[in-house]
Amino acid sequence: MISIDNVSKHYGSFQVLTDCTTQVKKGEVIVVCGPSGSGKSTLIKCVNGLEPFQAGAITVDGISVGDPKTNLSKLRSRVGMVFQHFELFPHMSITDNLSIAQEKVLGRSKDEARAKGLKLLERVGLKAHAEKFPGQLSGGQQQRVAIARALCMDPICMLFDEPTSALDPEMINEVLDVMVELAQEGMTMMCVTHEMGFARKVANRVIFMDKGLIVEDDSKDAFFGAPRSERARQFLAKILQH
Amino acid sequence: MYDFDWSSIPGALPFLWDGMKISLEITVTAVIFGIVWGTLLAMLRLSPVKPLAWFAAGYVNLFRSIPLVMVLLWFFLIVPQLLRSFFNLDPNTDVRLTSAMIGFALFESAYYSEIIRAGIQSVPKGQVAAASALGMSYSQAMRLVVLPQAFRNMVPLLLTQAIVLFQDTSLVYMSALADFFGAAYKVGDRDGRLVELLLFAGVVYFLICFAASQLVRRYQKKLNAHVAH
Repeated sequence: MISIDNVSKHYGSFQVLTDCTTQVKKGEVIVVCGPSGSGKSTLIKCVNGLEPFQAGAITVDGISVGDPKTNLSKLRSRVGMVFQHFELFPHMSITDNLSIAQEKVLGRSKDEARAKGLKLLERVGLKAHAEKFPGQLSGGQQQRVAIARALCMDPICMLFDEPTSALDPEMINEVLDVMVELAQEGMTMMCVTHEMGFARKVANRVIFMDKGLIVEDDSKDAFFGAPRSERARQFLAKILQH
Repeated sequence: MYDFDWSSIPGALPFLWDGMKISLEITVTAVIFGIVWGTLLAMLRLSPVKPLAWFAAGYVNLFRSIPLVMVLLWFFLIVPQLLRSFFNLDPNTDVRLTSAMIGFALFESAYYSEIIRAGIQSVPKGQVAAASALGMSYSQAMRLVVLPQAFRNMVPLLLTQAIVLFQDTSLVYMSALADFFGAAYKVGDRDGRLVELLLFAGVVYFLICFAASQLVRRYQKKLNAHVAH
């Protein structure tokens, strides 16, 4: 589904990604972790072309992301993305947040888009809030709406960029629950997250990154059981201490 | 002590009202055109295509570095000739009002574009990323997501600029166009009561602008209360 092949990226002389290579098969859930500044968010943003890269290749469902001839907007409309800061559109009601891209990008009718939006809103447990504005919802609720918004587009895979790092602790689980359910239904997912509980529960593989390099790319049992690199061991020790 | 005589004002009110209509007409056209052209300029200036950005920056800097009086003077001297030759107008057609409108619109759009540029930049980058991630094109992201938010933040500044513009329209008096100020001046000059008429005009300008500022301030408070989380 997603194939990342020797991808490198630099800002001026600063190397952000170095020769990153990995694959995500259909139905797989991959968790990407690593210390801040390790390039994990950048890597996931390269997958739908939000960040350009200078070397290597990424294909999603057989379509090359880096190819200038690729219709990036069309490709992005098929790849769902959830952001750290939700990025709901604050000037629109929740219903409009869910409908707008369905109407303007996929060309669905207003009624069709609205019905689909409400269905997904119900799925994330927020149907009662359909007519509110994003500012009236809690962070956890906003992030669930953001997931529903991405799902409205019937994505072939989902990218999560630290979906719980901006949330208060008591709201993290409601978002993770939605993500676990999604994973169990067979959605192909690539998640940048530090939630190791989530990784243990649903990940097929864990990718550990440090300084722009993919240091480990292993099954979750191998990763949590016996990480091969010293850097990953230290990271896990720190993150699992509490 | 100066002997005030206000008696020439009541009879001149219809004439002064006609002048006020001209002032308002110029203000409204310049605001509308200024916002439309200013939005385009702001988007060009933020465009990744360098020549477009340079053009917009050049335009804005040029108009912001020249006194309004001079811009208007050039427009009064040049634009009427152009209008006449382009549209094959009778040499006696009065195009002073049109020239004034064009001059103000082009001048004000430079100021509006700076306000709008700041407004666009005040919308978090993540909003464009989210719109793009949903498959929207750049222009859809701008039109549906960025500009509506930018304008909501900018409304108070745009209105304040409109108030300044309304005051600046008095400069058209140099083309002998009878806007409100010009009309007041003419009446005062005719009746030898310039001091009274100019005082009266000043009070009217003050009342209108002060009231408008208060309204903007109240709107801004409401906006801030609404946006606060």
